[in-house]
Amino acid sequence: MRLELEDLRVPLAAFDLSLSTTLEARVAAVCGPSGAGKTTLLEAIAGLRRCTGAVRLDGEPFQDARARLAPAARRLGYVPQEGALFPHLDVRRNLFYGAARAHDVDSTAAHVIAVLELDPLLDRAVDALSGGERQRVALGRALLSGPRLLLLDEPLANLDPPLRERIRGHLLRIRDELGVPMLYVTHDARDVAHLADTVLRLERGRLVEQGDPQQLLEPDPGALRFRGDRPGSRGDRLRPA
Amino acid sequence: MSALGVVGFTLLCAALAVGVMLPGGLLVAWALARRQWPGKSAVETLVSLPLVMPPVATGLLLLRLLGRRGWLGRPLEELGLPIAFTWRAVVVAMAVMALPLFVRSARVAFEGVPRRLEQVARTLGASPWRAWWTITLPLARRGLVSGVLLAFARALGEFGATILVAGNIPGRTTTLATAIYTHEQLGEDAAAFRLVAAGVALAFAAVWGSEWLLRARRAEGSRAGGGA
Amino acid sequence: MNRTRGPLVPGAAAGGRRATSRRLAARALGCALALAALATPALRAAEITVFAAASLTNVLQGLAPAYEAKSGNHLVFDFGASSTLERQIEEGAPADVFFSADEAKMDRLAKAHLLVDGTQRKVLSNTLVIVVARDSALRIAGPLDLASRGVKVLALAEPHSVPAGIYAREYLTKAGLWRQVIDKVVPTEDVRAALAAVESGSADAAIVYRSDAATSQRVRVAFEVPPAEGPAISYPIAVLRGSKVADAARGYVDFLAGASARDAFRRARFIVPE
Repeated sequence: MRLELEDLRVPLAAFDLSLSTTLEARVAAVCGPSGAGKTTLLEAIAGLRRCTGAVRLDGEPFQDARARLAPAARRLGYVPQEGALFPHLDVRRNLFYGAARAHDVDSTAAHVIAVLELDPLLDRAVDALSGGERQRVALGRALLSGPRLLLLDEPLANLDPPLRERIRGHLLRIRDELGVPMLYVTHDARDVAHLADTVLRLERGRLVEQGDPQQLLEPDPGALRFRGDRPGSRGDRLRPA
Repeated sequence: MSALGVVGFTLLCAALAVGVMLPGGLLVAWALARRQWPGKSAVETLVSLPLVMPPVATGLLLLRLLGRRGWLGRPLEELGLPIAFTWRAVVVAMAVMALPLFVRSARVAFEGVPRRLEQVARTLGASPWRAWWTITLPLARRGLVSGVLLAFARALGEFGATILVAGNIPGRTTTLATAIYTHEQLGEDAAAFRLVAAGVALAFAAVWGSEWLLRARRAEGSRAGGGA
Repeated sequence: MNRTRGPLVPGAAAGGRRATSRRLAARALGCALALAALATPALRAAEITVFAAASLTNVLQGLAPAYEAKSGNHLVFDFGASSTLERQIEEGAPADVFFSADEAKMDRLAKAHLLVDGTQRKVLSNTLVIVVARDSALRIAGPLDLASRGVKVLALAEPHSVPAGIYAREYLTKAGLWRQVIDKVVPTEDVRAALAAVESGSADAAIVYRSDAATSQRVRVAFEVPPAEGPAISYPIAVLRGSKVADAARGYVDFLAGASARDAFRRARFIVPE
C-alpha cells in the first residue's frame, strides 16, 4: 500500500492529532503510549471520524479539500479493539456481512476461512465464542469484504501468549498468502519485529518517528523501546510472557 | 355505543395513533440519540412538551390548529377532510400525547446499541440505511417494542386533549376515558366501573409487557457483553 | 471445504427472510388500511346527527323509533350542555340539527352563518324546579330556603355558560339570593349532571328543569318555579349549514313540531307553547 496523510488533523480532548506522512509498506505498525491518538488515527483513515486534511490510498483520495468519501466507499477493513462482532447474527452472517462488495467471493471466502481456521465456527452464535475465536471471526469478516487495506486496533491485546502466537501466525498468512496490506496498532514488540516493514511512533498526537523497525527498535525483544529513548524512559512495556 | 364498542373504537384509534406516530418518532429518537446539531436542545424540549404540559392545554392548541377555522383545519375542511370532532382528531390527539413517551424509550434503545457496531458495518460497505436496518434496529428492537407498548397504553388513556379536539360525541369520538367521565357525570356508576375495569386491564397488560421486554433486553445485554 | 452444512454464503437464507419480511409488511399495511376503513363511520341513507341539550335526552330518544319508522332515516344523538355543543359546531363538529336550551347559543350560530335560513323555530319552553333527594329530610318551601344552613351544596349546571345554569342564576339573582348561595354552588357540566349530583347524594339540592325531575325516581321536586316568576326559557331548533342531509333534517324538525311530538313533550313535563 501507499498511504498518504497530508495535514491530517483531528481535535481531541487534550491536544490535536496532527500529522503528515507517506507510508509505503505491506504492514505498518503504529505504536505509542496510550492516549497518543492511535485509535483516532485509524478512525480518521476509515472515515469514522471527522478530520481535516487529505488522506490518499494508492493515489486515490479518501478525503481532500474538495470531497470526502463515505466509509462504505473506501473499501477498508476495520477491526476495532473489541472485535465488535454483531451479537444478533451468527458467525456465518457476521463473516459475510460485507461480502456483497467483494469480487469473487466464493474462492476468496474459502481461502480466508481456511487461513483463519474458521470452518468449525461457522454456525455458532457469537456469544458462544472464546476471545481468540472472536478475533479470528472479526479478522475474517473484515477480509471477506474485499478490503484494500486492513486497519487493526491492537488485535492481540486481550489474548494470552500462546493464542497471540497463533493469531500472529494468521496475520502472517494474511500478509503473505492473501496479500492484504495492514495498518495496525500494537504494543507488542514481536508484532513489530515479525510483521511490520515500517513502524510509526505517535506521542501526544504527533508523529515522532517513522522507519524501519530493525533500525529504530532496540535489539532487545523484551521491551518495545526505540533507539534514542533515554535509559529508563517510558517506552512501551512488553506484556509479561 | 356499547361498552365493547367503545373499547374497540379506543383500541383501534390507539393502534392507528401509534402507527401514525412511529415513523416520525423513530426519526426523532434516532437523531437525538446519534446526532448533534445547533438547536438540538430546543427539539428535545419541544418533543417533551406534551408530556409535561396539561393535556387540555395541548388539546386546546390542537383545536386551534385543526378546528374548522384553524390554520390547518380550514384548508383540510375545504378539501373535504375535517379533522376536529371526528375520529381523526382522536387519533391525532393520541399520537401527539404518545409521541414523547415513545421518543424517550426509543432514544434510550438506540443509545444502547454500541456505535462501534454501526461503524464497523459502515466500513464493511453498508449504507447508513442498511446499517440502521440490519444492525441498529434489530439490536434496539426490544427497547423499541417496549416504547411502542408504553405509547399505546398512553394513547388508550388519553382524555384531556381528546375531549377538547375530538369532543365526546357518542358513537363517533367517545373513547374509553371520555365514556367513563360521561357515565360518572350522569351517575351511571355501574357502567363507569365496567369501563374502568377494562381500562385498568388493558393498561396493565401493556405496561407489564413493556417491562417484561425491557427485563429480557437487560439480561440479553449482560450476556452478550460478558464474553471476552 | 465441507459444504454439507448449508450454503456457505447465506444469500439464499437471507433472501428468504427478506421475502418473508416483505410479506409481513404487506399484511401489516393491509391491516392498517382495513382498520382505517372500519374506523370511518359507515355511510347509511340519511343519517341525521342531532346535537341537543342534555335536558332533551329522554324525550328525544323516546320519540326516535317513531320518527325512524316513519321516515326510514336514522338518528344519531349527541346530548350535552348547549354551550359545549354550540362551541363544537363552531369548530366544525359534524351536526345536522341543533336543538338548544336557550336562544343565546342559537343566535351565536346564526351570527356565524352556520344555520340554514328559515329553518329556525321555537319549539319548547320549560320551567325550573328545585329538587332534593327523594328521602331527603330537607324542607324547601321556596328559593329562600336554599340560603338556609340545611343546604350545604347546591348543584347547578355551569351558571355562566350552560343554559340551565344561566336560567337558575338569573332566577336567584332576581330573587336577591344569588350572593347568599354562591358559595354553596357546585357547577356541573350540564343539567343532567346536576340532577345526578342530587341522586348520588353529592349535593343537597339542585335547580334543574321540571322535565329533568320527571325522569328520575331518586329525586323529588321540592319547589316548582311558577313560569311567570321564572326566566323566559326557550328551546329553539335549527338545521345547520353544511349538513349533507339538509332535506331529511328539515323533515325531522317538522316532525318535532307535529302533534305526536308535542304530546310527548307535554308528557315529559316540558311546556309546549300553543
